[in-house]
Amino acid sequence: MKKVLFLILAFISLSFAKLEVLVTYPWIEDLVKNVGGNHVNVKALAKGSEDPHFIVPKPSYIAMARRANLLIINGASLEIGFIPVIIQQSNNPNIQPGRQGFLDLSNFVELIQKPERVSRDLGDVHPEGNPHYNLDPYNIPILAKAIKERLCMLDTKNCPSYESNLNTFVSKWNTKLAEWDEKMSKTRIKKVIQYHKQYDYFLNRYGIETVATIEPLPGISPNPRHVENLIKLVKPQNVNYILQNVYHERKTAEYISSKTGIPYVILPHDVGSLPNIKNLFDLFDHIVRSFEK
Amino acid sequence: MRKLALLSAIFTFSFAYSQESIESLKKQLEEQRKLIQELEKKIEALEKSLEKEKAQKEVKTPKEDTVTKPADRTFELKYKFGEKRQPYALFTQPSFLPNISLIIDSSFVSRNISDKSYEEREIDNFFHGHGHGHDHGHGLNTKKGFNFNYAELYFYAPVDPYFDLYATVPITEKGAELEEGYFVTRSLPFGFQVKGGKFRSSFGRFNQKHPHAWDFAKSPLIYEALFGEEGLVEKGVQITWLAPTKFYLLFGAEVLQGENERSFGYEGFEIGHVDVKNASVPNLYVGFVKTSYDIGNLSLLTGLSYAMGRHRVYHVDGQEKHGFAGRTRIFGLDLTARYNLDSYRYISFEGEYIFRNVKRTEYEYDGNILTSDYQKLNQSGFYTQLVYKFHKNWRTGVRYDLINKNEENGTKATPNLPAYYAMLEYQPTEFSYIRLQGGQSKAYYIDGVRRKVNEVVLQFNLAIGAHGAHPF
Repeated sequence: MKKVLFLILAFISLSFAKLEVLVTYPWIEDLVKNVGGNHVNVKALAKGSEDPHFIVPKPSYIAMARRANLLIINGASLEIGFIPVIIQQSNNPNIQPGRQGFLDLSNFVELIQKPERVSRDLGDVHPEGNPHYNLDPYNIPILAKAIKERLCMLDTKNCPSYESNLNTFVSKWNTKLAEWDEKMSKTRIKKVIQYHKQYDYFLNRYGIETVATIEPLPGISPNPRHVENLIKLVKPQNVNYILQNVYHERKTAEYISSKTGIPYVILPHDVGSLPNIKNLFDLFDHIVRSFEK
Repeated sequence: MRKLALLSAIFTFSFAYSQESIESLKKQLEEQRKLIQELEKKIEALEKSLEKEKAQKEVKTPKEDTVTKPADRTFELKYKFGEKRQPYALFTQPSFLPNISLIIDSSFVSRNISDKSYEEREIDNFFHGHGHGHDHGHGLNTKKGFNFNYAELYFYAPVDPYFDLYATVPITEKGAELEEGYFVTRSLPFGFQVKGGKFRSSFGRFNQKHPHAWDFAKSPLIYEALFGEEGLVEKGVQITWLAPTKFYLLFGAEVLQGENERSFGYEGFEIGHVDVKNASVPNLYVGFVKTSYDIGNLSLLTGLSYAMGRHRVYHVDGQEKHGFAGRTRIFGLDLTARYNLDSYRYISFEGEYIFRNVKRTEYEYDGNILTSDYQKLNQSGFYTQLVYKFHKNWRTGVRYDLINKNEENGTKATPNLPAYYAMLEYQPTEFSYIRLQGGQSKAYYIDGVRRKVNEVVLQFNLAIGAHGAHPF
């Protein structure tokens, strides 16, 4: 009887001992799963199919933040519309910025397109630079390491396990990186139009140029004049492809495609953006496959 | 064998030692090199300053016939003003500037009754018109034609690791006032949070929203009737506890000064031979519980609220004096259901039912005779609204307001009092919106006569600067 009780207690204490990690986006969730293994419980607030700029701060998110030991965010003002209220209302001192339980991943990578001038007449610009850095596959191992360090800091007991998880993940990733590099070196796509400056880290990595964006300014819906100008750009600039994300309207991309004859492709930007994107490997596999032309 | 072992041990030891001593020697050398470099730098600096002094002396004693300006005029300016400015520049802290935003709200209003009549609108047993000689100067969209409602300054920054500080200062044409100024703790353990200062009470659902975050240009009728157009904004403290449950469950209590004119008030008065004492302060106690569940893309938020306090009102209208003294209890029940269609589109239902019970004595004094009258009021009303955001940049919505109970000592003081509104809103970005709202209120009495008030409001609301995200 006592043994059973002890076992139950031990089980309870073990289940309590799991680190509760809350993250903003599914790609971070996948990284934490890879590094944390079964020592952490991780949950993402946003869905991959949602516009990462416009996540609704639901009260249920506040309840999740209340119980978290660690909050990991994308940063670079991508979550400015929802995460500050969630942190403020969470009544949880551990995840306040500046504490160990708060991790901003944008601190670990070099951000591109940092604007020289910040003003809202330029649309929804991010003073820190382009926040969609998760789409450079070379950034992923760095971020995985940053997550490992933080998990080790909060949970020293399981550090060796995090370390070995990280090594497994990174070596697997590096094999894949070689494969992606190889495939991307053969792509004939050199110039694209995209809806939002979302894939720039990926495109920069593989030397593909963004000629223009469908939205005239970040966060501003397209207007007919701008779309006509885009159509005029396609021929002289030799644009090969229109990149469409999963959450914006597709009519404009379809229209430009029908007028110019260049194909448009719906690209995932996060884990869960499309039903078949179950993890980060799937994400980059899918994106790379879209460029095999 | 043993000797060999010993020897080898000594050898390795001495080797390690020598290695170490070499290491330390290297370090010392390195340090000395650094020292020399530093000295060299100092000498250089000294030489430079000497040269400067010389140059200065030369500048100070120019020969009168060969006065030449230095080639670099900026150097001269820097020399002249730089020293003076530097002490201040040293201690400026631009990176510690708090988040500041300015929100401007203006409108064009068309209404079927005169501005004076609108100002004097009243509902018996709820509130009386402003015509009684005291001008509040509040209210939105009060005039026909163009209105400048407010320019609202908003400040926010963490104070230190323990507190956040917020302030909201709406500036109207009549001047600035402090609507809110409060701190919130950020490091209390066990899910507690304390707020203190002057703030919007967390009673109910609508009350916490700033006017620029309202879905309609006008506050709900029941709020206007019970708390006034600004809502329940009071000085005091709030403590909340967020339960560590899987779903959202928040308990809160507030101790407030209780100055709200329409439902509370603590200042006593003298009327005729009666002396009504001040109510003891703090005068207002509020409790609430809020909870929320998600069912797929549907988020439900519901809350129960309770407020109680003493009630004191006193008016002087020429010779006539008029006062109330008693106590007030208010119960509120709210429900929000928001269904997110995608990242930009949603359908949202929001409703709130509020009941008020007042027990008070009414005093009237015309200079000769004092009459007093016991009143027991049972009053209630609600608003329900449906808002549909059908496009990233467009929203539309309807609201139905009703005061469904206004009983004085068990008899009806007024019939059911409804009001309806519809709005269409264009939001180019999240920093601006233009809203067209039309509606009719059948709730107001003007000079004792119930009047229909029809109005159309075209509202412009724009925000600049760093403004925090809005809660759900």
